[in-house]
Amino acid sequence: MASLTMYPDDERLAGGERIAFNLYIVTAVALFVLMMLLGLTMRMTQAKWLTVQSPLFYQLLSMHGAGMVGTMALVTTAVMWFFLRKYVQLHLWAFVANYVLFMLGALCIIASIFVGRYGALWTFLYPLPVRGFGLWTSNTSALFMVGYLLIGVGSLLFYLDAAAGIIKVHGNLGRALGLQWLFGGKIDPDHPKAVVASTQVIISNSLGILAGAVVLVMSLVNIFFPTVVLNALLAKNLIYWFGHQYINATIYMGVIAVYELLPRYTGKPYPISRPFLWSWAASTLFVIVVYPHHLLMDFAQPRWLAVIGQMVSWGAGFPVFLVTVFGALTNLHRSGIRWTMPSRLLILSMFGWAAGIVPAILDGTIRNNLVMHNTQWVPGHFHFYLLLGVLAMAMALMYHVIGSRVSAPPNSSADKLGFPLYLAGGLIFTYAFLDAGRLSVPRRMAEHLDSWTFTDKVGSIGAILVVLAMLYFAIRISAGLLKQPSAGAAGVSTADAAG
Amino acid sequence: MTRLQTVVRWAGPILWLTLALPPVRHALESTLTLQMLVQIPLLALVGWWLRPFLPDRAVKVLNAWNRGGISGLLLASFAAMIWMLPRTMDSALNVPWVELAKFTSVPVLLGLPLAVSWPRAGFVVRGVFLVEATATAFRLGWLYLVSPQRLCSNYLLGDQQLAGNALLAIGAAMSLLLAWKLMWGHVDVDGSHRRSHA
Repeated sequence: MASLTMYPDDERLAGGERIAFNLYIVTAVALFVLMMLLGLTMRMTQAKWLTVQSPLFYQLLSMHGAGMVGTMALVTTAVMWFFLRKYVQLHLWAFVANYVLFMLGALCIIASIFVGRYGALWTFLYPLPVRGFGLWTSNTSALFMVGYLLIGVGSLLFYLDAAAGIIKVHGNLGRALGLQWLFGGKIDPDHPKAVVASTQVIISNSLGILAGAVVLVMSLVNIFFPTVVLNALLAKNLIYWFGHQYINATIYMGVIAVYELLPRYTGKPYPISRPFLWSWAASTLFVIVVYPHHLLMDFAQPRWLAVIGQMVSWGAGFPVFLVTVFGALTNLHRSGIRWTMPSRLLILSMFGWAAGIVPAILDGTIRNNLVMHNTQWVPGHFHFYLLLGVLAMAMALMYHVIGSRVSAPPNSSADKLGFPLYLAGGLIFTYAFLDAGRLSVPRRMAEHLDSWTFTDKVGSIGAILVVLAMLYFAIRISAGLLKQPSAGAAGVSTADAAG
Repeated sequence: MTRLQTVVRWAGPILWLTLALPPVRHALESTLTLQMLVQIPLLALVGWWLRPFLPDRAVKVLNAWNRGGISGLLLASFAAMIWMLPRTMDSALNVPWVELAKFTSVPVLLGLPLAVSWPRAGFVVRGVFLVEATATAFRLGWLYLVSPQRLCSNYLLGDQQLAGNALLAIGAAMSLLLAWKLMWGHVDVDGSHRRSHA
């Protein structure tokens, strides 16, 4: 069971661990601000408040997409590492190797976009990367894909090291998931939720990375040997199998922060249960097979795959989400929680995840998908759960850790101002996307008709608020992490911390 | 040493000689699928079985350059890469010295390094190697299937596509096997058991 001690000794960051964790977090918050600025630029361009040429817009869109997905993965990997290392042996070299390979991959991607003018978006859907129509070359696309391969190898190294640690303690991944307790038996109350969630991520995302490794290399073969023509539908299936699991893994890595931290702020235990294990087992299977909901509009896709996509969409999101949100609310109920920044962000993340998943499930329904999928409804959904869900989970840990530097959860006046600014901005920004989707405003368009610009303008205002709040968070978190821990910071009890 | 142990010790050279016999060689090179997925893996197995012939001193020297088995696995990967190319498999049929190169390099540069390095490799290194091997099976299978022309002058397009399908099946089988082993099997994470025999 997760500790109720606010800053337990086994979470203390020392030496190389502290440097590595700080590198992850400082890099991530800086990248978030930069990527948000790109996003704001695009929204303001659509609102006609800024003029950005279309080719540059698609470069920005490619950078924003790849950058945000990658940074979400980077920061939530740090969340998983931070907690998992308490329960199993993780090697620092694997955590650092992931960071180094991520940075090398990011450099390739940045160079391909801003030097080579790549603009085929983060999904690199075949054959667009090789059809640059003079805007970018195939070699540029190859550099972009090499960047992805480097990032994928880094993730794989980290997952394999985590798998080794988990298997060493629990025997195999099935036991780590708690499959032996699904139908009976006394559940070990000390079986860590962090291990269950990490195991799910390792299983699903390793398969996703395998698919990505296949399709990326085949795309490179096509670039250098154009006579080898790929089956575009197969390539798209593999890309979304990889992409869906990669971005979904960020939720499942991020939610570990909720499992670990929420009980400390409520002061109530958050025990593991059979429904919890069932939900993670189901989610492990569902997240692997749900990806066809990205291809519901592909008429050539086999019908049975589309049916699986819809059916599993309705089932995939619910188990873990329901168990987690219900568990969190139960934990929160009559707990006397003190509302500091980490606890606020944890509860916000539950809301962001819960509310963000609903439009996704609606869009995962074939009849809705036909009219919604190419609209801004989709960015509305994923910005909702990423901005107000996953990022909030990661920031809860960041704030928690900077609290350990001063032995108290952070809750300054500026924090109290920054949080509502982020929340209000996030809501305005995401609802503007969702409303634009309702109005059938298409997504991924550099130029918008005048009649579409109202929601663009509202969204831009929301984005400005979010960027301001994130800029503050980035500075506050970076400065907090760079502070030396105060003597005796570890081991502060819940009661002490909650005041 | 018992008779059985002697036979096992000489299994590598015996298999090598068997594979080199003209009727066996011609049979295994009659189709691309057989050459790629039966003959070359068997030659690699010869190399694996040559491990007992390596003097202890040589093993010690090699181990100094083979931390965690990484160098050896890289060498094996590069050697495998060469013998995956249709051009080299094609040339082996047309040019005698390429055939000789295959019969020597696959055991010595692929099988033997694998035998020396695998027990030294930890979970992560083995994992990367196996994931990459699985991905390579899928990629090559896909390539052979979609290639619009014959990649080998000695083999027909249908044979090439059969090899492609077989590679996809191998990739799928490896994925399922790995998934089963990790989910429900017993995994020697430390490699302590194997290392003690290395």
